[in-house]
Amino acid sequence: MIEQVTIEGIIRILFVCVIITAAYIISTRNLLSVVSVYALQSLTLVCMALALYFLEGSVVLLAIAGVTFISKVIIIPYFIATIQEKIRIKRDIEFHYLSPTTSLLISMILMLVIYMALSRIVVGSPSRENLFFFGAVLGISLMLMGMMVTFSRKRAITKVLGFLSMENGVLLFGMFVTELPFIIEFLIIIDLIILVILTTILSVGIDSTLEDYHKRLHRFHLLDDSEEVI
Amino acid sequence: MILIAFVLVSVLSLVIIAFARNHRQMNSVCIGQALIFTTLTAYLVVFQQVPVVSFLIDSQYFFIDHLGLFEVLIATLIFTCAAVYARGYVEGLLKSGELEKGSLKLFYVAWTLLLLVIVLAFISDNLALFWIFAELTTIISAMLIAILSARENIDAAIKYIFVASVSMLFTFAGFIFLFEMSRVSLGTGTLNWTVLMQHATTFPPGMMIASFALVFIGLAAKSGIFPFHTWLPEAHAKAPSAVSAILSGVLLNVGIYGIIRMYAITHQSTAVVTVAPMLTIFGVLTIGIAALSMLPQKNLKKLVAFSSVENMGILLVGLAISTPVSVFWVLFHIMAHSFTKASLFFSSGILHRQYRSRFVSDAADEIKDVFRLQPLAAWGIILGGLAIIGMPPFPLFFSEFFILLQLGTVSLWVLAAMLLLLFISAVALGYFVLMNFTSVSEPEAQTDIEQYRTPASMKVPIIFLLVLLLVIGIFLPSGITGFINQIVTELNF
Repeated sequence: MIEQVTIEGIIRILFVCVIITAAYIISTRNLLSVVSVYALQSLTLVCMALALYFLEGSVVLLAIAGVTFISKVIIIPYFIATIQEKIRIKRDIEFHYLSPTTSLLISMILMLVIYMALSRIVVGSPSRENLFFFGAVLGISLMLMGMMVTFSRKRAITKVLGFLSMENGVLLFGMFVTELPFIIEFLIIIDLIILVILTTILSVGIDSTLEDYHKRLHRFHLLDDSEEVI
Repeated sequence: MILIAFVLVSVLSLVIIAFARNHRQMNSVCIGQALIFTTLTAYLVVFQQVPVVSFLIDSQYFFIDHLGLFEVLIATLIFTCAAVYARGYVEGLLKSGELEKGSLKLFYVAWTLLLLVIVLAFISDNLALFWIFAELTTIISAMLIAILSARENIDAAIKYIFVASVSMLFTFAGFIFLFEMSRVSLGTGTLNWTVLMQHATTFPPGMMIASFALVFIGLAAKSGIFPFHTWLPEAHAKAPSAVSAILSGVLLNVGIYGIIRMYAITHQSTAVVTVAPMLTIFGVLTIGIAALSMLPQKNLKKLVAFSSVENMGILLVGLAISTPVSVFWVLFHIMAHSFTKASLFFSSGILHRQYRSRFVSDAADEIKDVFRLQPLAAWGIILGGLAIIGMPPFPLFFSEFFILLQLGTVSLWVLAAMLLLLFISAVALGYFVLMNFTSVSEPEAQTDIEQYRTPASMKVPIIFLLVLLLVIGIFLPSGITGFINQIVTELNF
C-alpha cells in the first residue's frame, strides 16, 4: 500500500501538470498539438481520479477515471483530429481580443482572485483541507481559462477545445469538492460527446473556405443523420 | 405511466418520421405529437391530484408539481401552434430552396426530440437531470437554427451553442456547491429540488450566494439576460420563424424556470438579502440594453427578439421583489409573454416570406403595401405589438402593471427607470410599425411585388393565439389564477 503522503505528493505534481497544459492550450497556435495537449490534460485528470481513489477508496472515482479515459483521452481527441485533417487547418493564428501573453497574465490574476474568493466562501466548512481546497481553486481556474480560450479564438474548432478544457475544470472541481453520484458524471459525458460532434460538424461549415463550403455542407448533412441515431 | 406515455409517443413519432415519405406526413406527425402532449397535460391539470404520483414520477428523478405542469402546458400549446404553422411555412422554405429536401427529415426529428426534452426538463426533480435536459435543448434547438443552408445560420447556431453551454458549465459548478452544502447539513448529498426546498434554511448564506451566482450565470445565458444575451437576437432572427416562436416562447422559459426554482431555494435562506438586489440590477440592465437596442432596429425579427430580452428583464425584476403578489404576476407574465411572442414571430414569418427577396440579413426590412399584400400579418404585428408593450385589455398589461405597482413599494427610483425604459421600447416598436407599414408604393409600380399566398395553416395559429390572449386578458379565468396561486404557495413565497 502506498503511503498517504506519497499520494498527496503525486496529486500536487498532477496539479502542476494541469496548470501547464492549460497554459499551453491558451498560448499555442498549432492546432494538432492543442488536441494532444487536451488529451494529456484529460489523462492527468484520470491519474488524479486514480490517486484520489487510493486516498479515499470510493468506487465512483474509479468509474469516473474509466469513463474519462475512454471518452476524453481516446474518443473525443481522435474525432477532432480526424475532422481537423478533413478541413486542413493546421494553425490558428487569429485571436479575437486577447493575445496569448495577455491571456496568460489574466489567467494568473484570475487564479489569485479565485483563491481569495473561495477561501472566503468556504471558511469554517470541513472541505477546507489543503489539498481539496487547491483542487477546487484549480478546477474553477481551469474553467475560466478554458472560457478565455473559447472567447478569444476565432476558429470554431479551437473554441470547442476551450470548451472541453472548461469541462475538465468542472470535473476537477467536482472531484475535489464533493463526491457526485456516478450517473451524473456519466450523463455529462454523453452530453459532451453530442455537443462535440455537433459543433465540430458545424465548424466544418464555418472553418472551410467559401468555395467548397456547399460541398462540405452536403457531407455534414450525411454525418448529421448518423449522429441522430446515437 | 404519464412519463412512459410522453416517451412512447415521441418514439412512435420518430419512427413514423423515419418512414415518412413527404413533408405533409412528417408535419402531421409533429402536429399529432404536440396535440397528444397537450391533451395529456390538460388531462393532468383537470383530473389529477397535483403533485402527480405515477410510475417514476414522484421518485427521486421526476416529479410533476404545479409549476412544472404550468410550464409544460404553455410549451405544448405553443408547440402545437408552431407545428401547424410549420406546415405552410416549411413548404415555403422548401419551394424557395432555403431548406434542402435532404435536411427535412433531420428538421422534424430534431423538432420531435426538442418537445420531449423540454417536457422532461420541466418535470425533472433532480437538478442535475434538469441541467442535462436543458443542455440538450440548447443542442437540439441549435440544430434547428443551423438547418437552413446559409452561412449566417451556422454562425448564429455556433454562437448560441458556445455562449449557452459555456455558461451552463458554471451552472453545474453551482450545483456542485449546492450538493456539497446539502451533504454537510443532511449527511448524504442530494440535488433533489423537493428535498433542498425543505432544508434550505440550514444552508450557510455565503455558500448559498456563491452557488446561486454560479447557477444564475448559466440560466441567465439560456434566457437571454444581460450580459449573456448576445446570442439571442442573432439566433432568433436567423432561425426559421416557426422555430423562432419556440425559441422565444418556450426555450427562454426553461432558463427562467430554473432561475425561479433556484431563487425559491435561496429565498428560504438568509442569502436572499444579497441575491435580490443582484437580480434587480441584472433585470434593469437587461431591460435597458434591450430597449436601447430596439430603438435603432430596422429588422423586424431582431426587434421582436430584443423585445424578448426586455421581457426577461421584467421577469427578473418581478422575481426580485419576491412578494407573493409579484411572483404571481411573474408567472402570469411568463404565460402571456410566451403566447404573445409566438404570435408575433408567426406574423413576422409571413412578412418574411412576402418580402424575402428584399430581406437581406441585418439590413433594413423593406416593407411596402403591407395592408394590401398581407393584411392578416400586418394586423397580427400591430395587435401583437400592442399586446407586448402592455396595452389593455391584453394580459401583459395586468402583469406589467402589478409588477410595477409592487416595485413602487420597494424603490421609486427603480420604478421610474423601468417606466422610462418600457416607454422607450414601446416607442421603438411603434416607430417601426409606423415607418414600415405606412409606406405605399405608387399605383403604377405595384406590379413588381408578387403576393405571397399565405396558406391557411399559417394564419390559424396567429388568430388562435390572439383570441386566446384576449380571452385571458378580458376574463382572467379563475382556473388560471387559482392554478398560479397554488404555484406561489408551493414555491413558499
